[in-house]
Amino acid sequence: MRVLIVEDDIEAASAMALGLNEAGHETRTAADGEAGVVAAMAERFDVMIVDRMMPRLHGVAMVEMLRRQGDQTPVLFLSALGEVADRVTGLNAGGDDYLVKPYAFAELIARVEALARRRETGSVQTVLRVGDLEMNLIGREVHRAGREIDLQPREFQLLEYLMRNAGQSVTRTMLLEKVWEYHFDPQTNVIDVHISRLRSKIDKGFDRPMLQTVRGSGYRLEA
Amino acid sequence: MRLPRLLRTTPFRLTLLFLAVFAAAASAFLAYIYLATAGEVSRRADASVSREMTSLAALDRASGAMALRRAVAERSSGGGAFLYLLMNPDGRPLRGSLAASPIRRFDGDSDWVSFRLTVIGRDGGVTTRPARGLERRMSTGELLFVAADVGEAESYVVRILRALWGAGAMVIVLGMAGGVLVSRGVSRNIASLSEVIDTVRRGNLSARAPIKGSGDEYDELAAGLNEMLERLERSIGGLRHAGDAIAHDLRSPLTRLRTRLEAAMIEADAGRGDPRAALHQTLDDTDGVLRTFSAVLAIARLEAVRDAPDQVLFDPGVLAAGVAELYEPVCEEKSLDFKVEITPFLTLKGNREFIAQAFANILDNAVKYTPAGGAVMLRVRRRSAGDIEMSVTDTGPGVPPAERERIVQRFVRLESSRTQPGAGLGLSLVAAVAGAHRGRLEIDEGPGTLDGSGPGLRVALVMAAQ
Repeated sequence: MRVLIVEDDIEAASAMALGLNEAGHETRTAADGEAGVVAAMAERFDVMIVDRMMPRLHGVAMVEMLRRQGDQTPVLFLSALGEVADRVTGLNAGGDDYLVKPYAFAELIARVEALARRRETGSVQTVLRVGDLEMNLIGREVHRAGREIDLQPREFQLLEYLMRNAGQSVTRTMLLEKVWEYHFDPQTNVIDVHISRLRSKIDKGFDRPMLQTVRGSGYRLEA
Repeated sequence: MRLPRLLRTTPFRLTLLFLAVFAAAASAFLAYIYLATAGEVSRRADASVSREMTSLAALDRASGAMALRRAVAERSSGGGAFLYLLMNPDGRPLRGSLAASPIRRFDGDSDWVSFRLTVIGRDGGVTTRPARGLERRMSTGELLFVAADVGEAESYVVRILRALWGAGAMVIVLGMAGGVLVSRGVSRNIASLSEVIDTVRRGNLSARAPIKGSGDEYDELAAGLNEMLERLERSIGGLRHAGDAIAHDLRSPLTRLRTRLEAAMIEADAGRGDPRAALHQTLDDTDGVLRTFSAVLAIARLEAVRDAPDQVLFDPGVLAAGVAELYEPVCEEKSLDFKVEITPFLTLKGNREFIAQAFANILDNAVKYTPAGGAVMLRVRRRSAGDIEMSVTDTGPGVPPAERERIVQRFVRLESSRTQPGAGLGLSLVAAVAGAHRGRLEIDEGPGTLDGSGPGLRVALVMAAQ
């Protein structure tokens, strides 16, 4: 996957590039919003990582400009501004996700991959399938290998998010933000307990566990 | 040259403008009065002369030149209101009470002429009086001049004019005086305000404008200015406090981090230990510092503002139920008896995210400190006083009354809680969130000691309902 990094902090940009390259992705970097627009128009990218505060053309204006030109590449905003209003501004400008600095690499990579994945499955799906796990979004039913699994509404949402990002790491913060819509980190590992509950429902009685813990990052649903 | 201060003030300039408009209106008004009075008087005088002329002309046409001469002679000597002069076609006087016509042309009908009439009084004194008349050619070719003494009318007009000029002068003088008075009053009010602004500009934020108590717009302005200064002083004080607090709060974890790195380097130089393990540890430490930083910043920001940003109306029960749902599995895993008691359809105004975080912190503490087998009770209700209470009661070891105030302070962790994760910022954030919503944080005894557990703790976020 090709990722455009638009960030004026060169050290941060090259560290990001290093981390993404290590994860097997190709990267280009641009040092300000103008260079970002030029790069985005010259090549096709799967995801753009855009810093909000940059010289010349700041991130929000840059993304607005690209969106006006019809560029639909998913955008992950990076920002030191983390208040509700800041996030809303970023998402309204055409951003698809918002990550507040400082962040862990694992978090950044997991979010970038989730954005790229979302773009691939653009069409509206009514049934999600990962391995022998099947989720009917209309009937709100889940089956594994033909056996029905009874899930609570929140467990259903949690599994849906994991299935949509199957094969990829998702972090605890991502789950909190996307499934619960909370933007703070509880001290207790509440997410871990939710995951182990879900795991006991979908993996119990099967030889191969699907819901895996990724050390230092989060969780991954494997087919 | 600079004008005197009073003349440069806006109210004075406005007064001048007002005066100009007022004077224009007054002039139009006075002109109308003039036309309606003085004009009317002269028009009437002219009309009576015209009528006299018409009657004589009619007599001339009807009865001939001789009758006209007789009539002129009669009327001239009769001491009537009019003056007459009948002249032959080339202007030589024939009959009449005037010696000569003021009109030097003898070519027929004339316009109105005004002239001075010389009058010899009974005492022999000579005066001149204003008169107006007109001349017509009669059917025989003779010229007839008829005039009237308009002295009475004229002096009436002069009196009116004089009165009008006087009135105009009075308008201007009174207007000017009013303007000066008004602008002096305004200036005095403004001066006290600009004095306050000057003081503030010199760096003294504690200056306040005096309020006269009349409740006028200057009082309103002064009150607004005072409130603004109040907020400014508060938020600058808050920011200063926040800066100090952040510097203080981050110094120790950063020092710890640095020490650990230094120790790891010494170990690595000596070929002992695993640098990777040290790096891992440092990464964890850094995450801790960043978390602390975010929390301290959030607290400091909340403490610096009077009201939390992005406030919306929401149902606190729904919010609490969401947080409860997040923690319910943890309670179950820890075999805590988790009860939820929510009064539905309450309304609260606030920053949802901050309140959710504050409530999660309260619940987090309860879950963390209550031993397995205990109970945690979450409650959202409206108190009889109208406040909304979002509380969590547990059956944990509780906090001695003497320590309850202290645990709200930043980084305070009781000896008994050292083994639990956390930086000691949880309740400080709750208190800051409560403060930013004009609410309060209440900490008191739980349900009491029972079966060796307790006495427990009740932590409540109390805010005014909408």
